[in-house]
Amino acid sequence: MIFWEIAKRNIRIHLLRSSLAMLGIVIGVVAIASMGILGNSLVLTVSDSLKTVGDSVIVTPHVGGTMGGFGGGAGGSSALKITEQNFQQIKRVSAPNIAIPVLQTSDRMKLGVGSDEIVAAIYGLNPDDVPDLLKLKEGGYSRGDSGVLVGSTFAKDNNVKVGSRIAIGTDGDKGTLRVTGIIEERGMAFDVSTDTAIVVTKGWFDDTYNRNDYDKVVVKVKNLDDLPTVKTAIENQMNKRDKIVDVVDTRKTMETIFAAFGQITTFVSAIGGISMLVAGVSILNIMMMSVTERIKEIGIMRSIGAQRKEVMSMFLYEALILGVVGSLIGGTMSLLGGYAISSVLLQTTKYLFVFSSLIHIVYGMSFGIVISLICGIYPAWRAANLNPIEALRHE
Amino acid sequence: MGEQPVMVFKDVVKVYPLPSGDVTALDGISFQVDRGEFISVMGPSGSGKSTLLNLMGCLDTPTSGDIYIGGIRIRDMSDKDLTNLRRDRIGFIFQYFNLFPLLNIIENVTFPMMLKSQKAVDPEKGRAVLRSVQLDDSLFTHTPMEISGGQQQRVAVARALINDPDILLCDEPTGNLDSKTGAGIMELMSDLNRKGTTIIMVTHDPHIAEYSRRTILIADGRIVE
Repeated sequence: MIFWEIAKRNIRIHLLRSSLAMLGIVIGVVAIASMGILGNSLVLTVSDSLKTVGDSVIVTPHVGGTMGGFGGGAGGSSALKITEQNFQQIKRVSAPNIAIPVLQTSDRMKLGVGSDEIVAAIYGLNPDDVPDLLKLKEGGYSRGDSGVLVGSTFAKDNNVKVGSRIAIGTDGDKGTLRVTGIIEERGMAFDVSTDTAIVVTKGWFDDTYNRNDYDKVVVKVKNLDDLPTVKTAIENQMNKRDKIVDVVDTRKTMETIFAAFGQITTFVSAIGGISMLVAGVSILNIMMMSVTERIKEIGIMRSIGAQRKEVMSMFLYEALILGVVGSLIGGTMSLLGGYAISSVLLQTTKYLFVFSSLIHIVYGMSFGIVISLICGIYPAWRAANLNPIEALRHE
Repeated sequence: MGEQPVMVFKDVVKVYPLPSGDVTALDGISFQVDRGEFISVMGPSGSGKSTLLNLMGCLDTPTSGDIYIGGIRIRDMSDKDLTNLRRDRIGFIFQYFNLFPLLNIIENVTFPMMLKSQKAVDPEKGRAVLRSVQLDDSLFTHTPMEISGGQQQRVAVARALINDPDILLCDEPTGNLDSKTGAGIMELMSDLNRKGTTIIMVTHDPHIAEYSRRTILIADGRIVE
């Protein structure tokens, strides 16, 4: 179509100013898409760290409330505990889901002759519950009280292998345990963060720290849709009169975290959107210039039989070309920009080539094209509605 | 019964409402143009020639009175219909040629054809019309800026003829050309008229008006001769 051809040639003949207008769109697309990719990569990074714990309900003593008993074992970080009786109630209402009581403290430990003492978190778990909660990347689960599992980061940092011995307490006064397995990396977790900790048997924990009460109970829910029901059941059972436990649905918590990240991504992309609006104003400006320069040409076209809509289409084609070319260049550069930002800020690019990241490039490009078209509408409308007689007189 | 006139003006009045008061540009103009005529419209500046040309070219509509182009009354026509009428029945030739600088010669000539057909057109008709206005084939792919003023006006004539219009409307067609080139263009016009094309030409120049076979003289918005 001849008007498409004229639009193309007009852009080509004014290459510098057309390029400058496109540059605005390029910057806008890059800003929106790169920010979107970065935000999404952040979400995916956190999601990867948290995804193993999205199927649990965590029950902890209510801070400020009164529990049935005050365990207060040696090394305990809190006086508030969950009693065996409380646990049995939780277990009953959670059935058939698995309720896992968790003991937790921290202590000094030594990892070999001549090595420095370190302090690390110690979890006490019933050996039967461990396979339900933790996966091993090396070795096997502890069968006796003398065995211990260690977190992956703990093992790496302290050069611990299956078979290594760990002396617990000052100068090993609480005994020595043999490493039977290394736990798979779990990242940040709501239930037990074992990456930098060790996991002992409940029996050893009870004997060593003289503890019978629990720090928390983790309920592993088989069907994720049951999470809210289990949470409510525990709350109804335990907090009948006084609030004695806090119950956290980990999936709900994760959803809240992801929603917050989503809002941050939207906000950051919106800042990119402002640069796109500036680019749109630049397109509007250039299109108005183009119309003003070509008033006489428009008058001739109208006088020899061009309809208003045809004149309008000619200017809209120009805006479309600027938008599409600018967006294509911007989209390509966004990939490079996203790659660079992800590499520098997240130290990984594995979240770049996934749909939820790449869609931000599509969003950025679509926004670029739509903004260009919107900003081309007024100049095009103005051109189409010029009075042909006055346009012909224009010098 | 005689052939229907290509253009009829009946008591046409054109008034421009201005803040300082209405200005009557044409005041009761009546005339008719028969097929095959070659008419020049003359008159001093401000006499109403341009207003008359705009009305004849369907670029404007009268305040009162009626104008018929090929038997069609234009008074109540929509902008879209008037545009189609200009495209299909009227060929415009301007003083400053007014070719499109972004298009080459053949594209300029076939532009009105493309408007009519709404698709790509066979350029062969454009070439034939350009040859009929004595433009050399070697110039067809040049842009307007690469050819002389006389050649540009020949291209403008070809563009005006491409849709086989009922009337050629010329606004000072030689006003921007030297006398020799202008004479060449007027010879071309006369030749076209001899072959049956109806031509109405607005001019200041009595020598150019001599090429026509009838003159309408306007003063103060009225036909005086």
